[in-house]
Order: sequence, then C-alpha cells, then structure tokens
Amino acid sequence: MTEIDLPHRIAWGALLLVALLAPIIVGFDPYLTHVGIIIAFNVALATTLWMIWSLGVISFAHAGFMGVGAYASALVLHKLGLSMWFGLWIGAMVCGALALFISLPLMRTRAVYFFMASWAVGEVIKRNFAYFKDFFGGWDGIFDIKPPVLDLMFVQIDFANRTAYYYLALLFVSLTVWVVYRINSSRTGMIYWAIHENELLAAHTGINVFRHKVICFTIACTLVGITGALYAHYQTYISPKSFDIWKSEFALVHLIVGGLTTVGGPVAGAISLTIVDEVLRASGYFRTIFFGVVLIASVLLLPGGLETIPRRIRAIFQRDSHK
Amino acid sequence: MHELEVKNLKMKFGGVTAIAGLDMAVEENEIRGLIGPNGAGKTTLFNACSGRYPITSGDILYRGRKISGLKPHEIAAEGLVRTFQHVTLFKNFSVLNNVIAGGYLHAQHSYIGSLLASRRTREAEAGSRRRALEILDFVGLGRIANQEASTLPHGHQKMLGIAIALAAEPRMLMLDEPCAGMNSDESREMISLVRRIRDTGVTIMLIEHDMKVVMGLCDSITVLNFGNKIAEGTPEEVRANPEVREAYLGSQAHVA
Repeated sequence: MTEIDLPHRIAWGALLLVALLAPIIVGFDPYLTHVGIIIAFNVALATTLWMIWSLGVISFAHAGFMGVGAYASALVLHKLGLSMWFGLWIGAMVCGALALFISLPLMRTRAVYFFMASWAVGEVIKRNFAYFKDFFGGWDGIFDIKPPVLDLMFVQIDFANRTAYYYLALLFVSLTVWVVYRINSSRTGMIYWAIHENELLAAHTGINVFRHKVICFTIACTLVGITGALYAHYQTYISPKSFDIWKSEFALVHLIVGGLTTVGGPVAGAISLTIVDEVLRASGYFRTIFFGVVLIASVLLLPGGLETIPRRIRAIFQRDSHK
Repeated sequence: MHELEVKNLKMKFGGVTAIAGLDMAVEENEIRGLIGPNGAGKTTLFNACSGRYPITSGDILYRGRKISGLKPHEIAAEGLVRTFQHVTLFKNFSVLNNVIAGGYLHAQHSYIGSLLASRRTREAEAGSRRRALEILDFVGLGRIANQEASTLPHGHQKMLGIAIALAAEPRMLMLDEPCAGMNSDESREMISLVRRIRDTGVTIMLIEHDMKVVMGLCDSITVLNFGNKIAEGTPEEVRANPEVREAYLGSQAHVA
C-alpha cells in the first residue's frame, strides 16, 4: 500500500521505453527479436510465480499451468478451428478453472509439503499430456500451431512476423506485470504478505487465509495460462517437455537472482538471466552448470538479488555524503 | 446476556484432558483475570474461544451467538479478538503496516477495487492508514510508526501485538500474558493501556502470572487448575480462598 514514488515510475517507464524501442535498436535482427520474445515469456512466468511467492510458497506446478494454457489454445485451434484470439481466453479460463480446482486441496498444505504437492501436480499435468496420446499428441506434442492474424478491415497484421509477435508478447507481459504490480501494491498485496509473514496472526485478524490463497493461486495460474497460449502460437510446436519441472525451477532461479520482495525482482531476474542463458547457449549441456554457478554467485555476492542494487548505490552515496 | 459464555467445555488432546467441563461467563465491559498454574488450561481456553483448536464438547457463546465450531477469522469478525503469549507480529512489516494489516475487517477490501485502484479503494486505504495511526498514538507507539517491527524492544512488540488486535475493532479482547517478560515500567504502561482500552467500552479477559498485575487490574478473577474452575470472584474473594492458595501457590504460600 505504498505510494509509487518518482524513481520507481521513472525506472518502469524507462524499461517500457527500451522494450518498445528494442526491435529498432537491434535493427529488426530476427535472432535478437526472438530473444526479446523469450524474455517476455520468462518475465511473465517469473512475475506470476512471484505472485504466488507473496503468499510464502513456491509452486513447482507453475510451468505445468503454462502448459495447460498452451495445450488448451493449441487444441482450440486444431479441434475447433478457432484462432489464438479465442484460444488465448479459453486457455486462460481452462487454466484458471483447473487452478481453482487443484488449489482447493493444494492450498491446505504448507511449507515443504506444498513444494512436494505442487511438484507432483506439475508432473501429473505433464504426464497427462504425454499419456493421452490421441488427444494431446503424446510425447511428440502438437505441431503446426499457427500464429494468429489480426484483421482490422483496412490493415492485416500477420503475427507470423517476428517483430509483430514481439509487440504482441510485450503487450501481454506488460498487462501481466501491471496486474501483479497493482494487486501487490494494494490491500490485496498486504493480505498476501501478512499471510506470508504470519498465517496464524493473519487468520486471527479476520483474514480468511484459505480463500485468499486459493484466489491468489488462481489469478497467477490464469495469467501464466495466457502466457502459455502465447508461447504455443509463437513456437508453433509444443510438447510435454516444454513445460516440465525445469521450467518452473528456472523461473525460481530468476526470482532468487532478481530478488523476492518487490515485483522488480522477478522482472530484473528474468531479463538478465534469459540473456545470460542465450549467451551460454553455445556451451550446450554445460548451460545448466553455468546457471548453477550464477545462482550461487548471486546468493553469495548479491544477497537479496538484483532488486537491492538501487538501495546499495543509494547507501554508497549516503555514506560519502556523511564524510 | 453474558458477553462470553462457556458451557461445559471439554478440550481433549489425545488422552490428555486440558479442560474438563468448564462453565464460566464474562460480563460486558469487565476486566476478567484468568489465573492458574502452568498447564491449568488457560491458553487452551483462549485457543478454544478464538477458534484456533476445535473443541471436544460443550458450547461457547459470544453475545448469545454460538461461536464454537467457527474459524478464527469468523470469530474475529464477530468482534472477539485475541493476542498471543509469544510475540506474534508481521515481523518484516513496519509498525504502521502491522496495524494497517490488522485492520483488514474494516478495510472494505475487494479484488476489483485493488486492481483498478478506484477512488473508493484509495479512500478506504487512506482511512485504514489514518485509523492505524490513531491506534498507534493510543497505545503510545505513534513516534516509531515507520520502524520495522522486528527491530523493536520486547515491550514495544507486545504493545504492537495489542495494537494489531485493536485494529480489528474488537468488542471483546483476550490478552494472553500481556505483561510477560516486561520490566516494571513497561508493566505499568501495559496496565494503564489495558484500563484505557476497557474505558473505550471493550470487554477484556486476560491471562497473567504476575499477581500484582492481576489483583490490581481485574474486576473479577477465574482460577483454573488441571482444567477445572476452582474459584471465581473479586480479587479479594479469590485471595482469601484457601483452595486457591492450596492449588495455585502451594499450601504454605501467601498470596500477595
């Protein structure tokens, strides 16, 4: 419930401006635009995971729910012949309904039991995609998920164009971050953090802890379902492996490296680590090991994550001014 | 109608009987003391009344309405709010945000309002903040509103615990050892605070081990031992009761 101060506004504004100009800055380079789109997906994944974290738990089912959105939208296209403009919302709704249903038992577990239970949920979602071969395409996945075309009478935008898709992804990731930011900086966010800090006390101040946990989980999964649909229509190919536990774990690393206490954390973490990941792509298998090194180094050298950098800089200046 | 009425309450944990058929009633706007040796069932009674633990049998009525079986958040919404024996705060929140968070019941919270930051929501949030500052001034923590709760000394943390409970605007407050671990100055401050809270019309039931505090502060006292009520009455009556001396302080001891 803190007022948004000027430096924050400037930082968010600058970030959005850079994101808007990014394709022009890189000269519409297809590879770099692709990286930009992947960054957008990862930011949405990390930010919504962080929203669940504001309750005090990490869900390892998060990539699984992204998969639900992706599969739902892909199937809407293939079985019903409806484009992503429908699949996106249907995917979000399916994802939200499933999240609501699953969170009823899931949110009764706590701490390490929640981690284990959510891990199992993520794994079961993935295995279902693999098991029901006729419907979900098994381990082979689903091919040929066409990106949508936007027909505005006088002009047609074909989102098979990478730059166009970048702006579409940017629009949705901005909306996602905005929703999470707004919720977090309002009374709702205070409720979540109160539960995070002390569930017992929160309940005794009149907060229906279970209800808010379920709603938070459902909102976060709905948002990541939208991200999943966008992912499917961008990659045009999805398989159960696209949404396994690794993806949730990478998102968790984004959170830890970025910082856990503000929404700026997951955004900064996802942007920087996606770039690191792309730089390391050539190293193949060793990528994961490098990732581990980055994680350990950031915990040791920058406890609190990237989000603490502005505070650290301010502290240095204040120390100097006292001299 | 009694403010709080406990009828034949039994609390069992496995084979252990913590409360064995307790009958008692707290009257409106009194300060009721709850005393007894360790393990007498005092905190268990609080846990039963606040809905933290399910009761084994019996009934608990608050202002004539049955509250046994309700969840803690539902009981808080009825106007019956408790504090905890051990310091229980939102530790990483500022002092002010602790109290704002405690004011949830009166915050008119809605998800849509949060998302759109509508004028009504912003006004409600400003109202919560104003109210929290008033409460902090009332308990005497107004000057340190922006400090982080975990950095406060023990006495202030206990005060803050009460401020959080007050933010829920209770009609009855259950205080679990409000003076525990306090020095005599802090204790005096706490006693005066409890009196001032009562003067605003709130009924108070408190557990306390310090006999000076109990005898000086309470209008009436209930004595528990091994899950049974062994005495009840004014401080003078309880002090004179031989059974209380026997059970609570040992037969040789003299109540202060």
